[in-house]
Amino acid sequence: MIRILNFFCFAFVALSCLALYQVSEKTRLAEVSLNETNHAIAAQHSAMSVLEAEWGRVAAPARIQRLAETRLGLSDAPAVELSSLELLPRRGESAPLGNSNVRNASATAPQPRDPRIRLAAIHTGN
Amino acid sequence: MAFALVGLRLADITILKGRVSGSHVAAIVAPSHHRADIVDRNGELLARDLPVHDVYARPHAFWDKAQAAHDLAAVTHTSEKRLKRIFTHYNHDNAYVLIARKVTPDTQDKVMQLGLPGLDFVQSTKRYYPKGRAAVQVLGQTDPDGNGVSGLEYGLNAKLNDAKPGAQVKLSLDMRVQYAVAREVEAAREQYNARAAGGIVMNVDTGEIIAMVSLPDGITGNRELGNADPRRNRMTQDVYELGSVFKIFAFALALEDHTIRLDEEFPIGKGFKIGKYTIHDAERMPAEMTAKEILAESSNAGTAQIALRSGATRQREFLGELGLLRAPQAEIPETAAPLTPRHWGDIETATIGFGHGLSVSPLAFATAAAMVVNGGRRINPTFLKQSHDARGAQIIAPDVSVTMRNLLRYVVTDGTGKKADVPGYDVGGKTGSAEKPGRGGYIAHKLLTSFCAIFPSSDPRYLVFVMLDEPHGRVPVLSLAGHTAAPLAGKVIARIAPMLGMPTTAAVLNRAEEKS
Repeated sequence: MIRILNFFCFAFVALSCLALYQVSEKTRLAEVSLNETNHAIAAQHSAMSVLEAEWGRVAAPARIQRLAETRLGLSDAPAVELSSLELLPRRGESAPLGNSNVRNASATAPQPRDPRIRLAAIHTGN
Repeated sequence: MAFALVGLRLADITILKGRVSGSHVAAIVAPSHHRADIVDRNGELLARDLPVHDVYARPHAFWDKAQAAHDLAAVTHTSEKRLKRIFTHYNHDNAYVLIARKVTPDTQDKVMQLGLPGLDFVQSTKRYYPKGRAAVQVLGQTDPDGNGVSGLEYGLNAKLNDAKPGAQVKLSLDMRVQYAVAREVEAAREQYNARAAGGIVMNVDTGEIIAMVSLPDGITGNRELGNADPRRNRMTQDVYELGSVFKIFAFALALEDHTIRLDEEFPIGKGFKIGKYTIHDAERMPAEMTAKEILAESSNAGTAQIALRSGATRQREFLGELGLLRAPQAEIPETAAPLTPRHWGDIETATIGFGHGLSVSPLAFATAAAMVVNGGRRINPTFLKQSHDARGAQIIAPDVSVTMRNLLRYVVTDGTGKKADVPGYDVGGKTGSAEKPGRGGYIAHKLLTSFCAIFPSSDPRYLVFVMLDEPHGRVPVLSLAGHTAAPLAGKVIARIAPMLGMPTTAAVLNRAEEKS
């Protein structure tokens, strides 16, 4: 009886060793794969970090302004609000500006510097 | 016993090792940045550590040291002479020498393409400022080891270094506003051929600095806090006798102490005699002026009389409550303490009333002026984004604060600040044209002009302070603040108000009517 029990125990140990080896090997492979993935993630994080910094540089207001002036012929808008949404007439309202004083515009829109834009405005009849 | 050992080993491998593996993963995934990013109030990136490499070499491994020094120097932009010297000097087995620090990935690729043996790359980080010049003096810089040495990099060093990986420190600065202010200040500096110029935009309820510009700008020397560096941050590091903008405080004190009525008349015409001195005005003034006109036309003789009614002790106490007698407490380390008179007598009280005899930094001035108009409550200047109203103890009565707002609006509509008005934004403010001190007294033709603006004056949200150092108008009178600093403030407000989402005066008045 003891021999049979010992046999089963040894068999169990042997099977456990095999199972353990299999699990260990799978774990090792998974760790290798995980390390590769982690390195790839770290590399992507690093690349994203560099790209975000690069985007911060190319989207800097000074650069955008320079490009807008040189490529699009735009210039600083007269950043003066002449009215507000609250002054727009409501449906069925008899006094269209809510009896508020109408403020005369003191700012004039700048002329485009780029001659191509002036030419386009002439062609479109504006 | 044997089976128990096998069982324990199984548990060890399947349970305990598994946990260790999990923490290992987290450590790898975590970003490798050592220092937190700095972003503006809208999340725009201002400073970040980028991955770079330090290049090391074992000279013993080079076959042709002279050629290796030549190639490495050309690629890494270092001194060939230095490399030749260290390759010759450190030519033993264990020598390990630094070729170049913080090389970019491009340079690293070029070094690798040289195919030299004995090279090693050690990962490092380099602080990068994507916005370049913008706010360079405020942000400061770090040393090669990544520790802050100036500006907010130094002032927030512990916060930046102790932050969790991937964390950001959000500043109060708005880079759109910063750029707009810098552009206008630079244009004005060129137009008036001024030695230096600067500007501050502050939220009067929170003390947040939305923009701070000081020109000329650029990277300042490491921790060079003295006055020698022309690119220093003049808004915090320098102290000035700011002149007539200081009259704001003389009037606030007089109204707080009920020592004047705004319609009360004061004798002006021939100047105001105090002891053996007579205080005159720069321009011809009427024989008598009301208190309101004294502020609007910026009369020194009138303001001196008003300041003396409160007396030296009370004036000192009041200016102290406004934080003008100590260095501003802000995150930026380069803040200057004021220069106060040794003896604070009647003459000093009179001259401080109109902005001479007490030198303060523009940041300290802007903070104090913000307290006058924000309902009269204490604020501290801050470069960190705030989410709530940060107003503290009451310093000035709320009704006095309202009166001061109206007075500042009157200065712009009917006084010396007309050129600062912007249609739709209800600007209030005060001009200041201070003669600069020199050997033997003040120099009449060297002015420091400034303008302190608030908008909208009915319920101020923002304060704009601009300053020009020795501006030159076509004729001397056109160098005064009303013709130089005031239009600059107006241009700044016209550009930044829509960015800050400020409603027009009309909308504010409509809301007030609806409330009433």
